[in-house]
Amino acid sequence: MNFNVMYRPSGAMAQVQLEGGEQLLAEAGAMIGMSPNMNMETQAKGGVGAGLKRMFSGESFFQNTFTAMNGPGEVLVAHSLPGDIVSIEVPQSALMIQSSSFIASHMGVTTSAKVGGFKTFFAGEGLFALRSEASGPGQQVLVGAFGGITEMQCDGNLVIDTGHLVAWDAGLTYKTQKSASGWLASFLSGEGLVCQFEGQGRVWIQSRNPREYGTLIGRQLPPA
Amino acid sequence: MDHQITHNPSFALLEVNIQPGELLVAEAGSMVAKDSHVGMEVKMNAGAKAGFFDKVKAFFIAFVRKIIGGESFFVNHFSAAQPGRVWVAPTLIGQVAHKKLGGGSFVMSSGAFVASMGDVDMKMKFGGLKSLFSKEGLFMLEVSGTGDVWFNSYGGIEEIEVNGTYILDNGHLVGYEGQLEYSLKKAGGGFISSMTSGEGIVLEFSGQGKIYMQSRNIPSFVGWVANMLP
Repeated sequence: MNFNVMYRPSGAMAQVQLEGGEQLLAEAGAMIGMSPNMNMETQAKGGVGAGLKRMFSGESFFQNTFTAMNGPGEVLVAHSLPGDIVSIEVPQSALMIQSSSFIASHMGVTTSAKVGGFKTFFAGEGLFALRSEASGPGQQVLVGAFGGITEMQCDGNLVIDTGHLVAWDAGLTYKTQKSASGWLASFLSGEGLVCQFEGQGRVWIQSRNPREYGTLIGRQLPPA
Repeated sequence: MDHQITHNPSFALLEVNIQPGELLVAEAGSMVAKDSHVGMEVKMNAGAKAGFFDKVKAFFIAFVRKIIGGESFFVNHFSAAQPGRVWVAPTLIGQVAHKKLGGGSFVMSSGAFVASMGDVDMKMKFGGLKSLFSKEGLFMLEVSGTGDVWFNSYGGIEEIEVNGTYILDNGHLVGYEGQLEYSLKKAGGGFISSMTSGEGIVLEFSGQGKIYMQSRNIPSFVGWVANMLP
């Protein structure tokens, strides 16, 4: 399977080339186009329970499986927001993905909703983060974002604004905390809560905060 | 200090490497990430040389703006005892541009300020009715001194060298060098043609210096979105 991302960073689209018999698992609604020999099957992967959990995490209940029948084929997928897409190889130690960023993956990748609890709730990222685990090396996921995606290396310590998080190596430990020492300073600084990462690993960020952008535009709209 | 801007012109992200003793001043809420050892302190955006009255005024405005929304008049100060990185990004879809200040002043429309470093003084400039009608907000931000300034736009940023006069549609101004002056004008000859041309009011700049304009304007976009709502 080969991923080819085009139109970065503002209107990214991923062209996925599959060998005969290969399968791609994609978020419902992510597909833009596909060759005629692709077979699409809709299912709630992992059963109703897993489907519901996905739904609460901001993902869709159903997911689509694309299979290349009788030879190679291609699927085009994209994200709903204007922005970037990158493909990430899922490490042995798993990958954490911010709930609305997941687009597609190899069939060998199992992505499940992880209850973030109060920690992620207060971080303004919704209740769930997703955890992707790979059955072997070379398995990839496609993640999408609002804005450009930048890969950062956490070398010991790194602080990220929660609204800009896309994905991170699960081997990193993280905690959410106030951006400044006091609540008033945190509020006035406009940074609110941040994620403090520790360890060695990669973190992917998006250059825009969808909630902030939505608030800024939304405030100027006439009341409904 | 060295810096790098990526993802221009639509989704600019600014990375600044701070050396010990340097101070990066950035718009409140614009931080995307930082090294843990880089310290952050929230300050009121009144300017270092502001007097007591200016500070009281600035605090009052700042607090009201923070509550009712609009651009913030608080800034965050970033500094580090050993070299460290800070990433900042604006809210809007657009570009970030860098400008070296060499003693002159630079006036930015509201919301355009991203960050500054060096011996740069900031003050709010009350634009009055002129500023309000030019759709640039009631306040503008004037920076002066020597150092670096980064500013952002909605859309791409075009630099225009003015020598004499230049006309700019309202809503498209990002910033202009302090030695320039502007006045409001009707776009067309008469009142009717001015309104029907869809251009309405324009800004006429005069003098010698640079103006920076943006390729999109927010009121137009918001108006379009508002029409699409159920």
